[in-house]
Parts: sequence; structure tokens; C-alpha cells
Amino acid sequence: MSKTKSKKKISRRKFLKGTGTVLAVATTAAAPPPLEAQRNIVTDPSVPRTTIRVMVNGAERRVEVEDRWTMVELLRDHFELTGTKIGCDRGECGACTVLLDGKPVYSCSNLAVWADGRSIQTVEGLARNGKLDPLQQAFIDHDGPQCGYCTSGQLMSAKGLLSRNPHPTADEVRAGLTGNLCRCSNYNHYVEAVLAAAKGGAR
Amino acid sequence: MRIDQLKTIGHATPRIDALERVTGKAKYSGDVRLPGMLYARVLRSPHPHARLRSIDVSKALALPGVKTILTHENSQVVWGAGGISGGQQYNDEIKKITKHRRYIFNNPVRFVGEPVAAVAAVNRHVAEEALWLIQVDYEVLGFVLEPEDALRPGVVQIWPEGNLSLNAQNQAQPQVTRRGNVEQGFNASDQVFEDRYTTAFVHNAQMEPRVCVATWEGDKLTLYTPTQGISNCRSDTARDLGMPVEKVQIVSQYMGGGFGNKNQNQDADLITAMLSKQAGAPVKLEMSRKEDFIGVHGRWPTVQYYKVGVTKDGVLKSIQLRGYSGMGPYRKNTGAIGGIDLYQCPNIESTIYPVYTNKTVSGNFRGPEYPQGFYGIESMMDDVAYKMKMDPVDFILKNMTRKSRDEVPYTNYSLEECIRRGAEAFEWKKRWHPQPGSDKGPIKRGAGVSFMAFRSALGRSNAVIRLDAKGQYTVFVGVTDVGPGAKTTMAMLAAEALGVPVSKVSVVWGDTDRCPYSVGESGSRTTIQTGQAVVEAAQSLKKQIAEKGLPKGQDILAASASPNPTLEGKVRAAFGAHFVEVEVDAELGRVRVLKYVAVHDSGRIMNPLTATSQIKGGATMGIGMALHEDLLYDRRNGQPLTAGFYGARLLTHRDAPEIETIFIESDDGYGPYGAKSIGESSKVPAVAAVANAVFNAIGRRMKDLPITRDKILGVLA
Repeated sequence: MSKTKSKKKISRRKFLKGTGTVLAVATTAAAPPPLEAQRNIVTDPSVPRTTIRVMVNGAERRVEVEDRWTMVELLRDHFELTGTKIGCDRGECGACTVLLDGKPVYSCSNLAVWADGRSIQTVEGLARNGKLDPLQQAFIDHDGPQCGYCTSGQLMSAKGLLSRNPHPTADEVRAGLTGNLCRCSNYNHYVEAVLAAAKGGAR
Repeated sequence: MRIDQLKTIGHATPRIDALERVTGKAKYSGDVRLPGMLYARVLRSPHPHARLRSIDVSKALALPGVKTILTHENSQVVWGAGGISGGQQYNDEIKKITKHRRYIFNNPVRFVGEPVAAVAAVNRHVAEEALWLIQVDYEVLGFVLEPEDALRPGVVQIWPEGNLSLNAQNQAQPQVTRRGNVEQGFNASDQVFEDRYTTAFVHNAQMEPRVCVATWEGDKLTLYTPTQGISNCRSDTARDLGMPVEKVQIVSQYMGGGFGNKNQNQDADLITAMLSKQAGAPVKLEMSRKEDFIGVHGRWPTVQYYKVGVTKDGVLKSIQLRGYSGMGPYRKNTGAIGGIDLYQCPNIESTIYPVYTNKTVSGNFRGPEYPQGFYGIESMMDDVAYKMKMDPVDFILKNMTRKSRDEVPYTNYSLEECIRRGAEAFEWKKRWHPQPGSDKGPIKRGAGVSFMAFRSALGRSNAVIRLDAKGQYTVFVGVTDVGPGAKTTMAMLAAEALGVPVSKVSVVWGDTDRCPYSVGESGSRTTIQTGQAVVEAAQSLKKQIAEKGLPKGQDILAASASPNPTLEGKVRAAFGAHFVEVEVDAELGRVRVLKYVAVHDSGRIMNPLTATSQIKGGATMGIGMALHEDLLYDRRNGQPLTAGFYGARLLTHRDAPEIETIFIESDDGYGPYGAKSIGESSKVPAVAAVANAVFNAIGRRMKDLPITRDKILGVLA
């Protein structure tokens, strides 16, 4: 649990920086959002719970989670962000990849409580104002998704990669996405798509 | 029809549902949530073979939040498609005679991972906790893992009739096919070669694990389940549950891959339906990745003994195969070993033993009997070519099939062109080493080739097209969209036949209450069969428009088609050839693919964008089967050791080479605009091509899949 504690030490400044929408947060941070009701999950009163505040796709949420919930359970079951998929639930496939403070993580291998005070971006948060992220458009143009089940994870890893390396080589794309399996094995098309998006200035 | 006359077909077209797939809006079965829905988990056998003396669920039922528990004691549903005499398509006739009936819960249990009980509870954590509270008293029985061992005397009998799976007439006989006389063929040969090849159990490992949501409204059952064929899934489920077909609705909209793993209905569907019925609430059953690996099915492992006779000019005179297929304890498929028919040869004999073992069950996986069979025979023939001092490409050109089974003509024949074009694009003469293993130093390069023919049969399917007054066409087809892009292909076919842009066509799919029968996405036949129905419905609608004019106001025009075309006196096949260059590190045993050229004749290519994806994907999967994938078992206790993505070592971004794809397009006059099969055919030659390239690099024949580092280091030591 030491990891949890160290994560909680994150400074407010860093938290705001991580969100990318400083103004909105500054207002809401002053007045915490109301605690969201448990809509979808029958919780067990005997299980330890924690109230967390988390930025999800740019909006701050406050919610009580069971300490045993994984981040992907929180996203899919409570926030109904089902674009994030569960492929293995044990850190092998990357279908559940989201950005945590801008960095790709396996949401199946993080606990929901660890998101407290942090910012999560999911596939639903990629398009802005109805406009697709260039990565999404490149995935469409290059036929990245076949069955589409790994696609959200591939997108989020690619997003994380381009934000730290806007002009990757093909090998760097492969390395950046290697934690995301695709059993349709459309690896060639995914790499082409990321390179094309990078060429077009995506990050 | 000439390609330049086509406005939509043959033009690269992004998927009509690509937006949903890249924004997370696509709803997969696991994304379905119904009010008051319970969560289910399955308790599975920890033993490879055991009788259940007793099962006590009282403590689990007493756990707060647990709603209902099913075991073999309170639920005796036969899962028809789960195990059948002869391993053929389950139907009412087969149902009457089959002796090896598989229930959703069996006693005894016959493999590690077989369902023992299922729990529905208010959330998944409670359901998981309840599994620990179920007390089962097992009488542990002996087990057998390997198909050849299972036929030895004195070994445990998994079924009373023995370990050789019964055929469709309930006889314990191997499957035998013969042409000519192999003994005479060997006598007429100048040289005769014999060898043994084995292939491993590999799992489909589609990204979406099995999941099912069941709900009842009165006596009507609705299942949200990932299936490759909603129509088959519905009729299977209705039959297994003793319900009229119209009382079962199957919804499968977006699907996270299947590769044969999601054909028919599954025990998970039946278990979820029964849990939901008993609990009186919707239920979602989620399987873990490990359960998906050991609880559904994968490709059957094989042992293949070949004997091949050739003349001194390298002409085949006789081929004999004796093969053993490990089916697990239930026969979910034929266990056939395909490949002999790739060769022109007057004398052929194949004897296949589909054998019960206590490993996990075998069933459909992309080209069910071919990748493993083609690996065996094309390795064997490659070896024969070297021993006859021939270039393998020349050997193939001399001996490959020219008519199906040497008698029936193909509707078109392009195999020779596939091989010649591939050899040229690959620069075969430059990359292939006449002396295998001749590279000096630890890094050794080599080139390999293999080829294939794959069925492209015609058949029955249905489609309905409707036109409203706004000029929007709606196609109703019972396809799901496993990944190849069937929905987009159907829209493109309708657009082409109607002479309108794809944007004017929407597709209703994946729901048995809204869509007519479709064959289902198996056997690489959706485009050929359901596509033909779409084209004919469109033509019929066009005729109506010509007669009645465009609909106005609230009017609609609608047309349907139910074609069932047949081929007379011909065989339809897709053809292809794969060329691979590898680099083997003789010190580390590591194999890297340097160059890969895949040439395919799949008839007219409907959508070059998605077709290319399928070729690349199949070839890449084949590399994984050749080099990595295996479900290993502990021989001492029958436990599966490598269930999961990591253990199976699927190819990753970093392993996957660039696959160069070449299409040789043809229109043989059948199928919609000449479409032939594509999805499975890209995997079938890949495994042999890689294995043959490894031989060319190191000069040692790798006879057991997968060709892992330890095996390479072993033969080079």
C-alpha cells in the first residue's frame, strides 16, 4: 500500500497540471462535486470503502468505491465508460489501457482507490467537441480495428506515446504499443495509422 | 463483370461502423447492463478426471447476496453442440443416436476447467467468494493427455466405449479416405520417405473473453452473447432448452473476435439462461481469461505419420497418412487433418484417429483442420524435395493439385500464378539457400514456401432490403461482425447492386428478432453466401422501383432473397502461396521473420482495405502457431500450465513482421461479383512456410510445433 500513499502525495499543482483543464478544475476544486449515488453496483456494507475524487475525461467526479474494485471496474460499471475493455483482467493484453495522469496504464491492474486525486483519460475522452482525435481518424483510414476489442487500448497507448514522442519511428511505435495485443493481428495497420497520425501533427 | 465497371466493389472503403469502434461507442455483449442484473461465476474442476461423490452448496447459498446455484444435481441440460458422435454439425438426427452426450454440468468431470457449478449473486465479488464455499468431494480418477497414449491398452477409459471417438454411426472406427492403392504406389516409387510430425493445442485467444447476458420475459429468452452465428446459436439454444425457436432471441452486435471459438452456442449461454430462469432476474456470466482458454476450445493437437513415394524425377506416386487428433474428452469437431488433397497423386490413403483425452476440448479454430495438417504435409514434402535435390518451388509446381482430388475441375485455377508471382515478388532464388544451414556464423538466414487451396463453397442464405421515401436503403442480414467487416461488405454489395453510394445504405444485423437467417461467420462463407442474398434482394428491389417508382410519404418498398446456389461438377477454391525469410540466432534459438510475401486468389476482392487486414492477420497468427503457441500440461497431474495470453506467447507488435500482400483477382462467375473465401485461408499456409524457412536456415527439420528456442537449441547442440 506504500504505492497508494506515495501517489496520494501528489501536489495540487501537479494535479491541476495533469488535468489539462485548469480553469474548470480550479472552480470545482473549491466546491467539491456531490458524491455520486451508486447506480449500477450492489455494494456490500461489510467491505471497506473509500471516497475518492478523480478527474475523468476532464470532469471531476466524487464517488465512494469499494477498496477491492479495480480501476476498470470503476470506469465500466460505475461511470459506464464501457469503451475500455477487459481482455484478460491480469495485465497481459492491454485492452483496458487508459491514461492515468497522461501515462498509459492497465486499468485492470490498478485499484480504483489509487485514482484518488488523479486524472484518467479513456477512449471516450479522445474526441473533443465532436471532432475526432487525429489518431482515431487514422485508425479508421488504415483499418486499424478489425474486431475492435483491443482498439481503445491501442489508441490510448498511441496517445501516450505521441504525447512524449511526437515523431516516433516505426520501431518506436511498435515498442510503445507492444503491451497491447491484437489477436486479429492487425499490427501492420495499427503501426501505419500511428505513423500517419504523427505525420499529420497528432500528439 | 470487369473491375472498372464496378463503382463500390473493389474500392478501398472504411468500415461503416469504424466510428463506433474508435470512439468506444460500439456495444459488445459484455457492455450490456440490464436493471437488477446478477453476476455469475463458474466453479470448474481442478482435476483432469474425477467423479463427484457429493457437492454441498449450502454454505455458498447462505452467503448474503447469493441468489442461485446450479450443479449437475439440479440442472441436466444437454449441450448439443458441445460433444457429438462423428464430430459433425449437431442436428436432430445426430441427437437421437449420440452416445457421448455432454451436459452443461457433467459427472464425472473429464478435464481441468470443466464446469462443476455456477453461482449468480448480486455482484461479481460475492459470486467469486461463493465459489470458495462450495464443497465438492471428488473421487480422483486416472487420466491420459496424449492421443497416442490414449489408445494404448490398459489406459484409463474416458468413455465406456473407449478412447477412440465414435463416428456418426456410433462405431469406434478411424476416418479413412482412399484413392488408388498406396502399396502399389510405393512399389512404383524410386524412393520412399517416412516421418512423424506433431502439432500443439493452440487456443483461439480472441481478445474478448466469453460473456453472456440472459434475460427472460415470460417464456421468451433473450441472450446477449458473442456468437459467430446468431441463427445457429438460436436454433442450438432452443433445441437444448426444449423451446420453440421463436421464443429465443440472440443479440450479438459487436464481437471481440472468435476465430471459430464462438461458433454455435456455448455452455456459457445455457448456464446463464438457466441461472436467469431460476433466479428470476437477468444474469451476466463473465469468464476469466484462464477460463476462456481451458473452458471453451482450441485447435486440436495432432500426431501425423507420413509415408511418401516419389519417382526419381520427383513425381509423387503415393502418400499415406496415419494421424491422431486429440479431441479432449468431448468431440466438438471432426478432428480431421487436411492437406493430402493439396497434391496430385494417384494413390492416397489417410487414416485419422480422433481420440479422447483429458486435456481441454478441441474445436473450430480458423481453418479447422488445415494449418496443422498443412504444416505436416508441407514440411514432409519440403523435406522430400531437398532429399530429391530439388528446389521446393519446382517440387510444388510439379506436384500440386490441378483438379480437386485429381478429378473435379476448379471453377478457376490460379495456383501456379500464385506461386510464380510470389516467388518473383519475394526474390526466391536470391533468398533461398540450395544448401540448407549454409550461412556461416551464429546468425543463419533461410527461406521457405508453402501453398494452399481452401474451399469457397456456395450455399443458402437470406437478406431483406427496404427503401423508404427519403431514399435510404436498409439491409437486414443475420450476420454478426466478428472482425472481418461483414457489415461493411454487405452494405457495399447492396450499394453496388442498387447503384447508390454506400452512405445511402444502412445495415441491421446481429439480432435474430430483426434479421433473417444467415449462415454465420464460420467457414469463410458470409460474403459468398449472405452476400449473394444481398445482391439478389437488391436486384429484386431495383426491379420493383422500375415498375412502381420510388416510394412516397409513408410508403416503403421491400424485397427479399433466399438463394441457394449450387455448383455442378466443379469445385470452388481460393488459392494462395506464402513465402517467408527468417533469421535464426543459433546461439539463442531465436527466430525472426525478415520478409513475408502472401499471394492470394480470393476471387474478386470486395474491399481491399479490409481484405488486406485479414491476410496480414492470418499470416501473423500462423507465425505465432509456428513459433510460439502451445497449451502445455504438467504430465504428472494433468494441469494446464500456459493458459492465458502470456503463457501462450501470442505475437506482439514487436514480433509481428510486415506482411506484403498480393491479390490475384479473378471472377469465376460464381458468388457475388466473383467473391471467394478469404478469412481462414490466410492462416493455413503460414505455419508450414515458417517451418520450412527455419529448415532452410539451420539445416535441421523441426518436426514438433511450436518451434521454440529450446527445440532449436536442442537440434543444434
